[in-house]
Amino acid sequence: MPTNHYKITRKDLFDLFGRLSDAYKVFVPYAKGERLYFDKFDPAKEDLIELGGIKQSQPVKSFINPPREKILNGPKKDSKPLILAGVKGCDLSSFILQDFVFLQGDTEDPFYATNRKNAILIGTDCTYAKETCFCVAMEGAPYPQKYFDLNLSSITDYFIVEVATDKGKALIDNFRMFFKNANPQDIKLRDINRDRVTAQVRDFIARRGTKDTVQIKGAVEKNYNLTALWQDFASTCVECGACNLVCPTCHCFLLFDEKSKEDFKNRYRIWDACLYKTFAKVAGGANPRKHLYERLRNRFEKKFDFFPKVLNYFACTGCGRCIEACPGDIDLREVLKGLVDGKWNKPPNE
Amino acid sequence: MNEMKNPYAYTEAEILNVVDETANIKTFTIRPKEAIVFRAGQFMDLTLPGIGEAPFTPSSNHNVKATLDFTIMSAGRVTKLLHQAKKGDTVGVRGPYGLGYPLDKFRSKEVFIVGGGVGLAPLRALLYALFNEADQYKKIILKYGARTPKDIVYKVEIDSWRAKAKHVETEITTDIGDESWNGNVGLVTTILKKESVDVNNAVAIVCGPPIMMKFVTFKLLDIGFKDSDIHLSMEKNMSCGIGKCGHCRIGPYYACKDGPVFTYDKIKDLPNIWD
Repeated sequence: MPTNHYKITRKDLFDLFGRLSDAYKVFVPYAKGERLYFDKFDPAKEDLIELGGIKQSQPVKSFINPPREKILNGPKKDSKPLILAGVKGCDLSSFILQDFVFLQGDTEDPFYATNRKNAILIGTDCTYAKETCFCVAMEGAPYPQKYFDLNLSSITDYFIVEVATDKGKALIDNFRMFFKNANPQDIKLRDINRDRVTAQVRDFIARRGTKDTVQIKGAVEKNYNLTALWQDFASTCVECGACNLVCPTCHCFLLFDEKSKEDFKNRYRIWDACLYKTFAKVAGGANPRKHLYERLRNRFEKKFDFFPKVLNYFACTGCGRCIEACPGDIDLREVLKGLVDGKWNKPPNE
Repeated sequence: MNEMKNPYAYTEAEILNVVDETANIKTFTIRPKEAIVFRAGQFMDLTLPGIGEAPFTPSSNHNVKATLDFTIMSAGRVTKLLHQAKKGDTVGVRGPYGLGYPLDKFRSKEVFIVGGGVGLAPLRALLYALFNEADQYKKIILKYGARTPKDIVYKVEIDSWRAKAKHVETEITTDIGDESWNGNVGLVTTILKKESVDVNNAVAIVCGPPIMMKFVTFKLLDIGFKDSDIHLSMEKNMSCGIGKCGHCRIGPYYACKDGPVFTYDKIKDLPNIWD
């Protein structure tokens, strides 16, 4: 039996979150209709906390690389370190890319680095899959495999706790009274759930014919100059940028300067979206991506051509958020199918 | 947070001098509180604190450490406001970013420089860098085109450049002439002649508006330059300067850290490079 597995009851876990709330900002997922949202841990709303289920609506980057981060001048709100519980495999796997962008290269982003270093990330296994889930096609799984400090696997009224880092171990050691050792039977129950949800995702992938990373390799490059194909993909795009903003691997940002009321000359790092017309435009008026289809193509090029080339990584975790967020019903899986097959197969419902 | 390590932070700089080059181009000489060391062709971000910033390549000699020149056309939100800045005002500056011109690859060759409009700004820094060690280069040739005689930048200086060394040649043309102009009239491509350069032992360096860069490149190929000997300034929408914000990507490169100067062989197959 691996010694890094424990178990904790749901009640004890919430007591622990309550105690941790003094020193930490503790965020957990709440059910709201069919969706899950991260919000501050509130013992009064314990019944709505869902530490299982599927991915939350907010991508995990919202907490480490927030939509608007003050990076210069004016005072920052003094805030406690973050504990984010309930993070799914399709979000955690995005750290390979976010860390690459913000921590590696010649220059580290110190704001990202601080947020990343201070946060305790607690993963959870998915307990079911949705039709838009395709993590397995993107070399992922419906349970955390990497980039978590602790992981919770929901088993009836308790959780199996896996310890992955020293940060996670310290938390267990400090609150050892809440945790019992897990036994092989617990691990077996966890693995049965993992296999069941993985099979569910595989089933969704098979039914739609969703392409995997092996099939996608080279597909963007091969079709790059088929303008009509890209125009077809972009025909219902309203360039709202939702696909960019909800995407756990999208990392682009702009720098925004403003004078505050107190006359601080602030600078912010704010999420940007490559679907916006002005994204690559320069002051002189030149714009390498004047047309909407070029901007949609750019999104796919960045994810399925650029990052495979520079990082050997397909920059999609299969979370499915962009599919759910798109008001134009553009389905990334269908675009990839179109690219691999070299033609645009309109989905059956159109 | 250690402010020194903040890559988005700027150093304050005093504007020491402002020269009106043309109706919409000014050269600012600034003195940063802490000297910034750069190589010709690298760029920096100039900030109007609390308003915004924009990327520019210094136009001064990189051997001068205490001050920096920036030649700036009023084109967008930040540059319009920069043009209102006066001697004594404070701006912010951060950088340098990018790789700069690979001078080691230019040595012992004829350096064939083609500029258009305000694109002469980074080339002025390059020219000064070449003049610093003029005997290292076989020839230094400048071909410069401006829209009209009134649009020529560094008017006072250009003539003096020819006197820097015996093997310096300069030639200017304007797209449209006027009564004051006795020089060449025609696009810059009309003064790029096979006879004026030994293409087998030369490098070409081009900076100017996108449409000019495109036709100059085609002309250079036409007179026999190799793809890998044509150095192009691809000044995209460089924002962060450190390869993170995503704006200036060209194919597998970020202009801010892998450029902004690229040889044509590296980018010729990438889409929309001239837009």
